[in-house]
Amino acid sequence: MIIEIGHFALVLALAVALIVSVVPVIGAARRDAAMMALAPVGSLVLFALVAFSFGVLTWAYVVSDFSVKNVWENSHSLMPLLYKYTGVWGNHEGSMMLWLLIVVLFSALVVVFGKNLPETLKANVLAVQSWIASAFLFFILLTSNPFIRLDPAPAEGQDLNPILQDFGLAIHPPLLYLGYVGFSVCFSFAVAALIEGRIDAAWARWVRPWTLAAWTFLTAGIAMGSYWAYYELGWGGWWFWDPVENASFMPWLAGTALLHSALVMEKREALKIWTVLLAIMTFSLSLLGTFLVRSGVLTSVHAFATDPTRGIFILGILTLFIGGAFVLFAWRAPRLKSGGLFQPISREGALVLNNLILTVCCATVLTGTLYPLVLETITGEKISVGAPFFNLSFGLLMIPLLLAVPFGPLLAWKRGDLLGAMQRLYLVIGAAFVAGLVLYYIENGGPVMAALGLALACYLMLGALADLWYRANFGKLAFNVAWRRLIGLPRSAFGTALAHFGLGVTVLGIIIVSTYQTETVVEMKQGSTAEAGGYSLVFDGMRHAVGPNYTDDQGHFSISKAGVVVADTWSSKRLYTARRMPTTEAGIVTFWLSQLYVSLGDPMADGGIVVRIWWKPFILCIWGGCLIMMLGGFVSLSDRRLRVGAPSRKVKVAKPVKPVMEPAE
Amino acid sequence: MLLWIIFACLTAAVAALLILPLARPAEAADDSTQGEAAVYRDQLRELERDKGLGLIGDEEAEYARAEIGRRLIATADKGAKAAVSPAKRRVSLAVMGVTLFIPAIGLCLYVALGSPWLPAQPLAARLENPGNNLELLVAKAERHLAQNPQDGAGWDLLAPIYFRTQRLGDAEMAYRNAIRFLGESPERLAGLGETLVAANDGIVIEDARTAFEAAIKLRPGDARVRFYLALALEQAGRNDEARVAFEQLANDTPPGAPWLALVNEHIVKTGGQMQSNQGVVSGAGRPPGNPTDADVAAIGGMAAPDRQAAIRGMVDTLAARLEEEPNNIEGWLRLVRSYGVLGDRLRAQQALDKGLKTFAPTTGEGRQLVALAAEMGIEPQAPVGEGAKP
Repeated sequence: MIIEIGHFALVLALAVALIVSVVPVIGAARRDAAMMALAPVGSLVLFALVAFSFGVLTWAYVVSDFSVKNVWENSHSLMPLLYKYTGVWGNHEGSMMLWLLIVVLFSALVVVFGKNLPETLKANVLAVQSWIASAFLFFILLTSNPFIRLDPAPAEGQDLNPILQDFGLAIHPPLLYLGYVGFSVCFSFAVAALIEGRIDAAWARWVRPWTLAAWTFLTAGIAMGSYWAYYELGWGGWWFWDPVENASFMPWLAGTALLHSALVMEKREALKIWTVLLAIMTFSLSLLGTFLVRSGVLTSVHAFATDPTRGIFILGILTLFIGGAFVLFAWRAPRLKSGGLFQPISREGALVLNNLILTVCCATVLTGTLYPLVLETITGEKISVGAPFFNLSFGLLMIPLLLAVPFGPLLAWKRGDLLGAMQRLYLVIGAAFVAGLVLYYIENGGPVMAALGLALACYLMLGALADLWYRANFGKLAFNVAWRRLIGLPRSAFGTALAHFGLGVTVLGIIIVSTYQTETVVEMKQGSTAEAGGYSLVFDGMRHAVGPNYTDDQGHFSISKAGVVVADTWSSKRLYTARRMPTTEAGIVTFWLSQLYVSLGDPMADGGIVVRIWWKPFILCIWGGCLIMMLGGFVSLSDRRLRVGAPSRKVKVAKPVKPVMEPAE
Repeated sequence: MLLWIIFACLTAAVAALLILPLARPAEAADDSTQGEAAVYRDQLRELERDKGLGLIGDEEAEYARAEIGRRLIATADKGAKAAVSPAKRRVSLAVMGVTLFIPAIGLCLYVALGSPWLPAQPLAARLENPGNNLELLVAKAERHLAQNPQDGAGWDLLAPIYFRTQRLGDAEMAYRNAIRFLGESPERLAGLGETLVAANDGIVIEDARTAFEAAIKLRPGDARVRFYLALALEQAGRNDEARVAFEQLANDTPPGAPWLALVNEHIVKTGGQMQSNQGVVSGAGRPPGNPTDADVAAIGGMAAPDRQAAIRGMVDTLAARLEEEPNNIEGWLRLVRSYGVLGDRLRAQQALDKGLKTFAPTTGEGRQLVALAAEMGIEPQAPVGEGAKP
């Protein structure tokens, strides 16, 4: 019975979502408080219904109720409990439920944290959120219903795809969705502002925490996906410019741009129209990502035909929301009053440069991702746009952006002093060059570009620190005074510095790994030795092992440095028996920030086995940098000013914000 | 019934919650610029603090204050334009909409999509009372084995069930476990072999052959195992050895055994002659119409469609001869079987009826014919026991 109640709750949720989609908009247009008051209550009810429904589905997974078709298709009674929970979203229907749950969760959060929002704006934002929820509720109920029953119920399920039976991939979708869907709030704010026809600096401040939260989660989701691909796929790569990866990377690029342009709007009331457009674009790219991944277009254009209803339904949602939003934008945007003026050399100017480059990067990735699809659809010709295209175009585009990053925070609003900023960065640039060259000599002989790249990474990291240094005014003031000023800086300043520093760390990791990693492919027999990264690996032999639902061929390696054994690792080839699916479980040994990555290949006729050994220097910097960026996001989010509004609440600190010059030299 | 009461309560609760805000006395919206003003005032406060900390100079602070002040004034202007009188009628319309719309949408969609008659069926509860549901019994045994993987008897019990339900991977594992824990037995080895063959599209792979060979050592003469061993020979291209093995098997097979047809089919495939189980192998008493050894050799070298045609030709010759000399029970038996193996049920039927005209179903020869036909799923058209001469 409980299953059917969950199903009914989902249906009721659709009814509620439709009402919340319509009534508050009328209320806002007529300035009717009662009708607008429906929006918060309705959004909370909607969240409660969807959460209950999702809970029922989870319960069905946990107790292995195979009378639910979705459970039968994707679960197994003997699966570990953790994967019974995560199996809920390890399939199409369940992941759409998760998506929906996060949409309504964000609506509920807007209600909870949005007490200071103007009534009409709040009513419209929640209504637009409800439009999105309605569309996905329709999609779920009509084409991807997880509550379809089986009668008689089978006794055993078909098991979850073994690749998904992994902790990393289990938590990757919720993080990614929190990011994707988080941008729906920005979208809703943008559309609501367009409906109302007015927008101002306060709007940007209200949007900022949502952008920041979505961006932080998306960063985490992408980093998690990348690390999973690294350790699970056994190729030793961490980013493949795969369309599925690009699908999540594009909203990140646009979201990063949005984060920065909203800043300009908040402080200077400039870039209004652009910010609204970015908010719409970011969520559109999230929807596009969902469409590409969910419709099966990506694996092959023809996979579309396997379930045309779903693909066409999502395409419909896509067209409706993106098309609708852009039409609204074209109609309303010209009426928006544009804001403050600024000189090209200013904090605003730096942020515009940031936006420009990020948007172009995003367009590059979009082109590289969609072009093969379009070409195949039109001419039937199959091409693949691979890493060389992206590395070249994306890499070249990123260099000026990365160079500009430390300048942004040091330039003053409205009109900046490039020379002053340069003078302040003088030391940083010099130190970065020295650091880059030192690293270059330590690693002894990489291309010159790499040395420059290393310098760039160090420059980013030092630049972030320099920002804090100059704000606190160390060097001019006595140390303890400056220290107090540093402590007194707003958290968003630390957030900015952390995020920029994290970017530098990631760039450092990327450059070192791509330049200095070594790949050794050798055929090894028991007792033979291979060298990588200054370590010697001795192959101690193979053993066969049987897991709960797989068999394992494991090879054991002892790793020694200068004759002393420092570590050992197992690397294995695993075969999931039920689905006859092989996976690679690479042996990964971490030495501080670097890793030794051992992957087993095919056995040879003479009893040896092909072993691939990668030495990945500083690889952990890539994800470590992402973690630091995330930390920056959270630190910024914790800044009380973002929860502004309740004037009674005392705001602790401040930074030299507002249309104000930084203390110039 | 309870379910529908719960649905009704849920619907009523949701509708009530949504009506609550609407049912408040209609009022104009609050001054919607409060929130904005709060943001700007907050910006001003920050500015003061910054100035206090010496983070910005006086001049810049003054300039910033002016800009924020302009925004504050702008919001105040907007606020003045706000208030509009609310309309009671519109709200009551909304209330009506909510009251009607929620149950209507909820019920219509649910009735279309839901399965209200199905209870929740958690697996644990179902395993408590599996009843006669084979699948559940299997699942129960599986759970038991997951806890006690050393229980060979459990694996032994499950293995053939897996095989019959086409869960070949599981069947292989179960047989192997049963053999590991209980030791080899002809049944287990033969079952393992058969599973491996089924899992490999009918090819007797090396592992399977090893299992069959072990089984035949434990129980010589097992027809099933002999069949697969012969099949292995045939698939290895050793047609002569295979034919001999098949022929021996056919000879040892009791009359009326269901697999005889299959064995005969393979004898033909390996270039042999149809065998009855009467032990007629030597050339002396050959029934009429049998192909000569030369014919057989020729057929062996032919491509499959040609071979099929050649066999067809010989069978037709046999039929023609039997029309002339019907008093040949061996001939009729061969003819019926041949048509049956070739899949020509109509001709087999006709041959059976003609044969029964000569050899009445009540006679020994007649009974042989009927038994053979029954094996191939063919029944005499004329009622047995009538219309034939004694």
